[in-house]
Amino acid sequence: MAKGLDWAKRLYENRSQRAKELREEGNKVIGYICAFPPRELITAAGLVPYRITGTLEPITEADAYLETLMCPYVRSCLDLGIKKRYDFLDGMIWPHTCDNIQKTFDIWKHYVPHSYFHYLDVPHMPDPSSFEFFTKELDVLKESLEEFGGVKITEECLKEAIGVHNENRALLRQLTGLRKQAPPPISGTEMTQVMMAAMSIPVYESNEMLKNIIEEVSTGKDGPQEKTARLLVYGCEIDDIAFINLVEECGANVVIDDLCMGTRDYWKDVATEGDPLKNLADRILGEIMCPRTFRRSPGTRQQDLDNRFSYIRDFAQEFNVNGTILYIIRYCDTFEFDAPEVRDYLEEAGIPVLYLEDDYSLTSIQGFKTRIQAFLEMIE
Amino acid sequence: MYFVGVDLGSTMTKVVIMDEAVLACVIGPTGAEHRRLAYKVMEETLRQANLPFDEISYVVATGYGRINVPFADKQITEITCHAKGVSSLFPTVRTAIDIGGQDAKGIKIANGRVVGFVMNDKCAAGTGRFLEVIANDLGVRLEEMGELSLNSKSRVGISSTCTVFAAQEVVSRIAEGTPIEDVLAGLHEAIASRVYRMVERLKIERDVVVTGGVAKNIGVVKALEEHVGFPVLVTEEPLLTGAIGAALLGKELTLNALESGRPIERGARRLEEATFFK
Repeated sequence: MAKGLDWAKRLYENRSQRAKELREEGNKVIGYICAFPPRELITAAGLVPYRITGTLEPITEADAYLETLMCPYVRSCLDLGIKKRYDFLDGMIWPHTCDNIQKTFDIWKHYVPHSYFHYLDVPHMPDPSSFEFFTKELDVLKESLEEFGGVKITEECLKEAIGVHNENRALLRQLTGLRKQAPPPISGTEMTQVMMAAMSIPVYESNEMLKNIIEEVSTGKDGPQEKTARLLVYGCEIDDIAFINLVEECGANVVIDDLCMGTRDYWKDVATEGDPLKNLADRILGEIMCPRTFRRSPGTRQQDLDNRFSYIRDFAQEFNVNGTILYIIRYCDTFEFDAPEVRDYLEEAGIPVLYLEDDYSLTSIQGFKTRIQAFLEMIE
Repeated sequence: MYFVGVDLGSTMTKVVIMDEAVLACVIGPTGAEHRRLAYKVMEETLRQANLPFDEISYVVATGYGRINVPFADKQITEITCHAKGVSSLFPTVRTAIDIGGQDAKGIKIANGRVVGFVMNDKCAAGTGRFLEVIANDLGVRLEEMGELSLNSKSRVGISSTCTVFAAQEVVSRIAEGTPIEDVLAGLHEAIASRVYRMVERLKIERDVVVTGGVAKNIGVVKALEEHVGFPVLVTEEPLLTGAIGAALLGKELTLNALESGRPIERGARRLEEATFFK
């Protein structure tokens, strides 16, 4: 059995392997898309949560069902679904995070059969009434998972699941914290592999793997070389190493991210005192910093911007970065609306920004190379 | 001391040799074979300057094919080189607009340094390639398009930003009997508007310098001026800015190293055919 980073790398290269094994042993695997579905409930129901991702391979089937001006990440996921690459899933949970994900749910349900589907309504504004509503929605999801899993999710076992998932997030934060060092003991490319691996196996195994990796990288493994620039990568879905690897090959250390398969997913924990469903709602709706959630502007424009983006600036300062790359997927209006403001906000704070727009397939990788190199020359 | 800048563009290869000023320069087409033979253009430039290669202190390669120059000491991107070249020619520059064969880019410059940039991606609309395709379709020479368009009394609107579809649009305009100068003026406006919208993301500031092959087209330059709302500057030889910047950056590196007593980091310096394509 491979250990540490090798363990993660192997899973990254064959992500569904462990889930398929578990299924053969009689477990049920529940797929979910995006960072919003509560993995804690899936775990508490004795099911295996599995994060759905897309791929860089060309989309060949999905274009018959979705226009090419839809989010290319969602199109890629659907493409894989139609090609039966997700047929090892027993069921799926789709959250209403953005319109592309919402509408694709219906198409997926029709063309990619699984025995269980649940659509999770996530309100768009973190207001008191929304939290109340969302807590009830999570209760509906809980009942539906109980029925599918043939189990009762007691408060005690949900709290236990929350504890284990909090530990998972804490381990990811601990690993990320090591990247404050110069040079960082783990590269951005490796970190992407770790995230992809961690989201493909049961949380207990994920925790074991992360402990293993933390031990490995903090005890003198040959880490990345120190490069001239330390960068933050901001964006939505990056679920392949190609882009971050390209950035690192151009001569930078990627030391922190604000990505869906990154800190956005694990930076905040679920509170452990009180009603666990309410605590889950508080984290998902209140703490996941995704632009799909509209945060009311308190007062001035500057206060509004601080409210939405100061955590990115804080990341940049804490991790001592000298530049940020905004990697924006074309037709992801959720992020495209925010990106110009994020750019201006960070530049205002003295952090140089490179804005890249991609169709998620990295076909213009040469063009990116020139831009990234020029950016590194600029901030040198 | 002599410094060389090699700008291997998508369409043209430019080589300059400098000491205090430009001593020699050669501009030749890139092409699939020529890219492999960048050293021939180098040799021709050396002949012009009457210098052996050993006398060259430093060689910087830039442009699309910068990796295919086995005799270079260092590769630097065209963004940084253009900024350097433009500011050496026009110290007051704040915005550089470079329209080459396949790329269009905007560079924001402060005190001779890049502070921001934008580039087009994938699509060749709004670049020199676009003009080449249309010139070919219309049977006009690339060099005369600009002057011709200045005779336009009523320029047509070209709605498509895609080279292939714009070419169709042009052909149908000509078939309708629209004067060629009005069609050309419309095309130049289409390019200028596309490039302007892209570069304006950087917030264009004066002075603006236009470089690259398309800067030789007076029609595009005039159309750009209409968009920015004030006169723009064009270098004497707009193709050479990148190569000049590359040579100057090489000079800077060499002099800094000499001053601080550090050794000068050199490349393999093989004045031969490139055998790798990465």
